[in-house]
Amino acid sequence: MGALGDLAGGLADALAPVNLLFALLGVLLGTAVGVLPGIGPAMTVALLLPITYALEPTAALILFAGIYYGGMYGGSTTSILLNTPGESSSIMTALEGNAMAKSGRGAAALATAALGSFVAGTIATLLLALVAPTVVDLVIGITAADYFALTVLAFVAVATVLGSSPLRGLASLGVGLYLGLVGTDVLTGQERFTLGIPQLSDGIDVVVVAVALFAVGEALYVASRLRRGPVQVMAASGPWFTRRDLRRSVGPWLRGTALGFPLGALPAGGAEIPTFLSYATERKLTKHPEEFGRGAIEGVAGPEAANNAAAAGVLVPLLTLGLPTSATAAIILVAFQSYGIQPGPTLLSTESTLVWTLIAALLVGNLMLLVLNLPLARVWVQVLRVPRPYLYAGILLFASLGCYAVNADPLDLVLLLVLGLLGFAMRRYGWPVAPAIVGLILGPVAETNLRRALAISSGDLGVLLDTWFSRIVLGLALAALVVPIVLRAVRGRRATPEEVQAGEGLRHRESVGAGPGEEER
Amino acid sequence: MSVSPDPDVSTTDATGSHAAAEHRHPPRPRTGISRGELAMVVLLGALGVYLLLDAANIAVPGSANTIGPRFFPYLVGGVVLATALALGFRVLRGDRGPSDESEDIDPDAPTSWANVGVVVVGFLAHALLINVVGWPLAVTLMFALVAWALGARGVVRPLLTGGVLSVVVWLVFVKALDVALPGGILLELATDWF
Repeated sequence: MGALGDLAGGLADALAPVNLLFALLGVLLGTAVGVLPGIGPAMTVALLLPITYALEPTAALILFAGIYYGGMYGGSTTSILLNTPGESSSIMTALEGNAMAKSGRGAAALATAALGSFVAGTIATLLLALVAPTVVDLVIGITAADYFALTVLAFVAVATVLGSSPLRGLASLGVGLYLGLVGTDVLTGQERFTLGIPQLSDGIDVVVVAVALFAVGEALYVASRLRRGPVQVMAASGPWFTRRDLRRSVGPWLRGTALGFPLGALPAGGAEIPTFLSYATERKLTKHPEEFGRGAIEGVAGPEAANNAAAAGVLVPLLTLGLPTSATAAIILVAFQSYGIQPGPTLLSTESTLVWTLIAALLVGNLMLLVLNLPLARVWVQVLRVPRPYLYAGILLFASLGCYAVNADPLDLVLLLVLGLLGFAMRRYGWPVAPAIVGLILGPVAETNLRRALAISSGDLGVLLDTWFSRIVLGLALAALVVPIVLRAVRGRRATPEEVQAGEGLRHRESVGAGPGEEER
Repeated sequence: MSVSPDPDVSTTDATGSHAAAEHRHPPRPRTGISRGELAMVVLLGALGVYLLLDAANIAVPGSANTIGPRFFPYLVGGVVLATALALGFRVLRGDRGPSDESEDIDPDAPTSWANVGVVVVGFLAHALLINVVGWPLAVTLMFALVAWALGARGVVRPLLTGGVLSVVVWLVFVKALDVALPGGILLELATDWF
């Protein structure tokens, strides 16, 4: 097995003392920031990106791997112990996790989340190591037209499949594509949409956009509608993980992994749908249906495993195709690019050592998370109590730092504020943020490949449908665009987490009558 | 500054339906055409028009027999304008986007534009002050202003917290990680010996 040999080599690198230290630092930072309410994995990664500037690539990516998994883990602690809804991928964990914590089983909920994250993360990372070389073999010969088709699929999937309103997803994608166009055209050197501002001729820095949309947008949004009053953190109390809990958790962990990894690896990736599916599955298979809604451990174990498996699955298209299918993956892509490394089919051969060290670091970081977080749970509970005024003021402080560190230009901070206001408006009116980030980063890639394909065919658009690969991929993209819209028109909107909890499953809800029911679609 | 609704009294929203302030309660879909949503759609449409019009001004180097730097902008402009039209149609029929959920958001609270204004002004001021007084001092003032807007008590604590945090962060990033960040005259003199 070539992949396992390569992985063993990567492990040897990742286990070097310095690299272990960076993995530990990454895991701690990622968890600590991820635990903070209001900060999801994408914002964690965006805010901590500046730290990697000062490091060499291997150390930086190991640090980043730790931050990525740590941020995912921290998010689940937040959703279990805070009685308020958080980011979409941990909502399903929160449903039963909250209920468990409320009935004095918080410790067991945290334990099954931690162990499930470890099991799912380890299996999914190993699968990533096994699958990645195969995917590379499949796609190594794809043409520019094929690649353009893939980017179109990623655009459409991120815009319409995630989130609750496909049109608003497309709107967000369009804004991201526009932001990606600003600057100097790579192929002809012409300035586009720079408004004559010299600083814009280099384009808008991705870090500025990501930090603005996530951190500044969130801070402004919270400022506009702050939940007043004392913070309610539930105690991580109760009996610790028992043998019975383990018996009930193993199945959900494995099923969650089986759902999360493949769905995360598809270009229509993301962790939201697998966690929904996992919850619905466990609800159907459980021997304790009466506990669902009142704190069933299966309902924490399954979605949490699916969430983490999907996080590893997202790395498959990222490392093999250079296709980010979630906001977090898009920011990791930026981290690669800042070292002049372009993920894609050739990455595994040109940067073989780096990639295998990164994958090995994910495994190591995952183990560290388990060892650290079971005893550190109490510390994280304290982090949850941080006073909100200071938390959001601190987020803005770090946003300023990360953004100013890019070019040392105060104009970037003004741009950060303007884009932050955009992020605020997007949150307020239900435009998902992820499509904008993916559009910004993937837009230039799509354009380059489109123009390359059309240059070869001397402008004949037929070249885009020349191969079976591009036909199938574009067909899927068309389906991803049309199916959600048709489904909503015919069968009403998708079920909310609360409806899934109530046992209505994932089916699309029947639309309710006419008149006032109309706007719910 | 907004007054938070009493959690024990159910509040009534614009349409007169009850919106009880309880936890884990999805924001109630409100009816009617939202002016804010319309403004977003109009802005999006304007972006589309701008993209289409300004794409025509992109200089195309001669002898470009295949597609040049204008093609993709036209494509994006078209998609943006079409999306704006479709979304505008839906919004006019009363469709509303579900506003984002977050741990610290009260879905039933009225929007406090005053808070947003304070945060915006604080951030803008710090952006303009960085090169004058240095990052730590500028960001301390912003930190305190934002903390006050979000309900921090007292004068000393927000300033002190922001000051200590910013100086520590500055030391770590500038002295240990070599990030370029103006420290202001005093701090740069004081840490010159590093």
